[in-house]
Amino acid sequence: MKIIAVFKWSRNPQDGRVGMNGTLDWRGVKMAPNDDDPAVMEVANAIVEDGEIIGLTIGDGDIAWAAARGAARTMVVTDAQTETDSSVTAAVIAAAIKRVEGVDAVIIGDSVWDYGVVSALMGQLGWPAVAGVVSAAKEQGRLRVTRKMGTASQVLEVEGPVVLAAAANREEKNAPGMKEVLFARKKPVERLTMADLGLAPAGDVSSKGTRFPDTPPARMIDGKDPVAACKELMAALRSDGVL
Amino acid sequence: MNMKSWIIIIDERRAGGMLDAAKKLGGQVTAAVVGSRALADSIAKLGFDQVLCFETAEGIPAEAYALQVAEAAKAAAPRLVLASDSSVGRMLLGSVAAKLNATMIGAVRLLAVDGESIVASRSTADGKLLEDIEVPGALAAIFDGEDVEASSTKPVPVELMPVEDPGTTMRMVETIEAEEAAGLLTAARVVGVGVGLASKDDLKLIDDLAAAMHAEKACTLPVCDDMRWFPSNRVVGSSHSQIAPELYIAVGISGQPQHMSGIRDAKVVVAVNNDPEARIFKNCDYGILGDLYKVVPELISAFKNNG
Repeated sequence: MKIIAVFKWSRNPQDGRVGMNGTLDWRGVKMAPNDDDPAVMEVANAIVEDGEIIGLTIGDGDIAWAAARGAARTMVVTDAQTETDSSVTAAVIAAAIKRVEGVDAVIIGDSVWDYGVVSALMGQLGWPAVAGVVSAAKEQGRLRVTRKMGTASQVLEVEGPVVLAAAANREEKNAPGMKEVLFARKKPVERLTMADLGLAPAGDVSSKGTRFPDTPPARMIDGKDPVAACKELMAALRSDGVL
Repeated sequence: MNMKSWIIIIDERRAGGMLDAAKKLGGQVTAAVVGSRALADSIAKLGFDQVLCFETAEGIPAEAYALQVAEAAKAAAPRLVLASDSSVGRMLLGSVAAKLNATMIGAVRLLAVDGESIVASRSTADGKLLEDIEVPGALAAIFDGEDVEASSTKPVPVELMPVEDPGTTMRMVETIEAEEAAGLLTAARVVGVGVGLASKDDLKLIDDLAAAMHAEKACTLPVCDDMRWFPSNRVVGSSHSQIAPELYIAVGISGQPQHMSGIRDAKVVVAVNNDPEARIFKNCDYGILGDLYKVVPELISAFKNNG
């Protein structure tokens, strides 16, 4: 199979610096693989057989991340970044995917960092798409994917080309060592720009800024005196009507 | 100003919250149910102005109807389309967004109108902030706001939409139900345990607390996958069970987003943690900053005496 593994398309929401006045400062924060990106490579490696995995990423950050985990080569849209409108970000990724002939599957992390990009990409490619995928396998030439739905697992058979959003159900096992990382940096990289894709940085939505939510902060109780702390908590819970 | 809204429904989760959010913008609110007729009948009692049913065939996943739903949405031309963050709903929303050439925004907590624009307030910076985004055109939003009880004394008739056989590109092979987690999904009280617990032997503390509270037990993903202290049907999180108890007490849980999305609908969340920087303290109602090995025994006594 020819598989495009989309990775590192967002910044880690935990890395943004929150100011006292509710501002958000992303200066110096690079894009990072999300918690589900290792699952992307796991699923890709499980179904690639004698085909090829092509890594696809945007913006700054570690370009060799997918190559260190099995991608034969990597495409990067260097001047793209995560936009406020997820449809715009997805359009960049979709345009890069469409440059590649004969793709059988696109796999992207089903990341809580930004579900919008995943949904928009699935819609824009217009292929059969499944989210929440925890594993996949080729059986008698057909692609079977397993997704988690609450406490149940569903096994689906999907005909390609397909888009799969892979969801991690554990932390990455067997992360590549220095040897794999150094080798990955020698693999081919195709550097693209938005202009190469016929796209202009745009979008007609605008951020009006950030603010703290109106919801009150947690009531903190000092646990140094556990008896007093529990007494205070129980009184509060009774007051809330949950006891 | 066209403020027609479509809400894509694949189950009842957050249906009331999405209806409430859309109604506040004014205009007609349509439920586009993709699933069974029984689900559509149930949704018709919530107070939507219109309920459309894209009835799915046995063994065919809802996603297989995505293009048909998107075509119908294009014909209706809603200004706003909402879906919950379920994996199926998000996929259907993506198809509709592409067909409408709509802006897509995830993690939307609140919606408002400002002049000719919709203002979507989405959760950002790991839930610490809200970002207000002004959208002048069509908006497809993944709704992550509060759920709201909804009902109507005048159910609307369900309109069955003509659907074509989507073919064999996607089909359900099997559904494997996990062994039931003895009422975790419907429990009024739940105790959750994270990797702050030092050893498996210490689970006795959690057992005792759950017994004192008359609560079900749950855990985070690492406690199941890495520590193997609980089976997977006890995991609460975005890829596992999502629960809505009256009271959730998180013991030794740091508050990773994966876990927190599973307790978003809990009424009251209490966290016990000795790390003042633990993220769960940003997303709970009450936080006890202290050693769980000293606090939990007192909690057990307190619940035995009061709960």
